[in-house]
Amino acid sequence: MKLPDSLALVKAHRYKWIAIAIVLIALTALPLLIENNYIKHLLIMACVGTILGMTFSMLFSAGLITLGAAAFYAVGAYSSTILVMNAGLSFWAAIPLTLIITAVLALGFGAVFVRNAGVAFVIITLIFVQVVVLAVAQVEFLGGWGGIIGIPRPDPIGKVNFATKTDYYYLILAMLLLTIVVFNALYSSRIGRAWRAIKLSPNLAGTLGINPYRYRLLAFVVGSTTASLAGCFYAHYSQSITPGAFGGWLSIYVQLYAVLGGLEFYILGPAIGALVMTFVPEYLRIVKEWEPIITGVLLLIVILFFPGGILGTIRSPQALNMSNLQSLLKWLKVLLPHNKNG
Amino acid sequence: MVLLRIRNITRVFGALIALRDVSFEVNRSEILGLIGPNGAGKSTLFNVISGFHRPDKGRIFFKDTEITGLRVDRIAAMGISRIFQEPTLFMQETVFENVFSGFHRHYREPAWNAFLHTPAANREEAVSRKKAAEILDFMDLGAMRDELAANLPHGHQRSLAIAIALACGPELLLLDEPVTGMNPSETEVMIEKIRQIRERGVTVLIVEHDMRAVMSLCDRIVVLNLGEKLLEGPPDKIKNDQRVIEAYLGKQVI
Ligand SMILES: Nc1ncnc2c1ncn2[C@@H]1O[C@H](COP(=O)(O)OP(=O)(O)OP(=O)(O)O)[C@@H](O)[C@H]1O
Ligand SMILES: [Mg+2]
Repeated sequence: MKLPDSLALVKAHRYKWIAIAIVLIALTALPLLIENNYIKHLLIMACVGTILGMTFSMLFSAGLITLGAAAFYAVGAYSSTILVMNAGLSFWAAIPLTLIITAVLALGFGAVFVRNAGVAFVIITLIFVQVVVLAVAQVEFLGGWGGIIGIPRPDPIGKVNFATKTDYYYLILAMLLLTIVVFNALYSSRIGRAWRAIKLSPNLAGTLGINPYRYRLLAFVVGSTTASLAGCFYAHYSQSITPGAFGGWLSIYVQLYAVLGGLEFYILGPAIGALVMTFVPEYLRIVKEWEPIITGVLLLIVILFFPGGILGTIRSPQALNMSNLQSLLKWLKVLLPHNKNG
Repeated sequence: MVLLRIRNITRVFGALIALRDVSFEVNRSEILGLIGPNGAGKSTLFNVISGFHRPDKGRIFFKDTEITGLRVDRIAAMGISRIFQEPTLFMQETVFENVFSGFHRHYREPAWNAFLHTPAANREEAVSRKKAAEILDFMDLGAMRDELAANLPHGHQRSLAIAIALACGPELLLLDEPVTGMNPSETEVMIEKIRQIRERGVTVLIVEHDMRAVMSLCDRIVVLNLGEKLLEGPPDKIKNDQRVIEAYLGKQVI
């Protein structure tokens, strides 16, 4: 028997909340089940990656593709480090201050950057992140290429003193959940609808009274500020930062999290992508030197053949890009040695 | 009463003068036809009115306020909606979401409250959802509300484009070839819809090549040819004017 629509909806809703509750309980219980510190470390970094991937997705949801997701991650890391080590603030005071600083910076840079949507924006962000890294490396006060070491742990709250990975895990989990709640509230409001409208057709969005510039700027500021929150965590977790950690491949990785998980899944996509990209290379025992190469090839494969990413392909397997697969096969046939006499 | 005043508009693309010194007025609550052979400059004029192109010369007034050179979204917010000649929809969204997005400019609750999902903001959205469903029913799209816009047949895509524009609650609606490519019965239905839209108090400026549709629908007609206004007047006068016939024939011979 078919359920009436509204009843089916209520049921679907209930299942959704049950699923969310189960995931929350699992995430909370996880460190109790895991003894290995290294795996805890990987989990923590997957959470950081998820937050960064979500910032990429937020800009993507507004029709902007950034290759500089790591820029404000770096700004956040350096800002909170300086505020704690030089200005003597507590970690907990440094966070809100850093968020304000990044928001202002993002507003300033974004005001110029998002005037150029499309390819121009991609190139601008790509250059911007490299410039940030190179500039930081030139400043002696920031430690140059050698970076800064001896960054203190977050100040203890009660008995939680951040001497263990578990404490850090709960901190980043809280940050991740906060990010998810905020992003979800945005996506499900008229702001998220305006972003999608701009992405799907800037012209039509304009005739509906939506100012593409203003909404893109909002996405840029929220995304950048969120990345800086992850940066605050990272600095006081790894307790040392170098400019090199933020340049090069990091922004590509962040993009891969979102693309691999599924670009149309603004929250779950980056989470799945970051989990896979953090754990799979470990279990395949891939040598560190090979990782960027494999990552690059993987990114190309996903873009060419699985444009929907993992979640998109699961949801609708026909999203597989068959025409590209076929041309690859043809190409392989030409390339592979074959028997000319036969 | 004059709703839209177009004064001496000139628009140049490189060496091509797409519009030369075009002036006319649209009265409140009328259906004004804008016709002319291919390349006459009709769509260009729509682009100028709706803010996509800046005119090189001339001024435009809407309700006695100058709107020349304003941003697209500002002009839309003043109450001018346009549909594009080529199907322009949020193709990867459902029919319902397309129309729902059209309510953007109606929200009075600040964005901050929308983000927090306050009860007032939620109520406002619920009202929009209800109105979106009404508009879909009005445009005979109710049965397709969960289809992707991209999957609709051509005629329904046209209807959807108008439904989105209506969601905006415009005072002036610019329609660029709403019935082109439709069969006679679809055309008949669409013409009737446009009449009903006017009865709801919306002024309509319509570009259309289907002469029978234009003649039966419009109160007045403005003829453009090679970027210049050839003539304006009621359908009977336009129908039999030698210059209009020549303009169209000349184009066909070439
Ligand atoms: N963005 C542009 N850049 C250069 N030329 C343009 C542009 N837009 C329009 N034109 C030219 O301006 C002239 C008028 O074009 P327009 O689209 O306004 O004609 P139209 O009257 O709408 O014709 P149709 O009935 O075919 O839609 C054409 O010669 C066209 O090629
Ligand atoms: Mg045209």
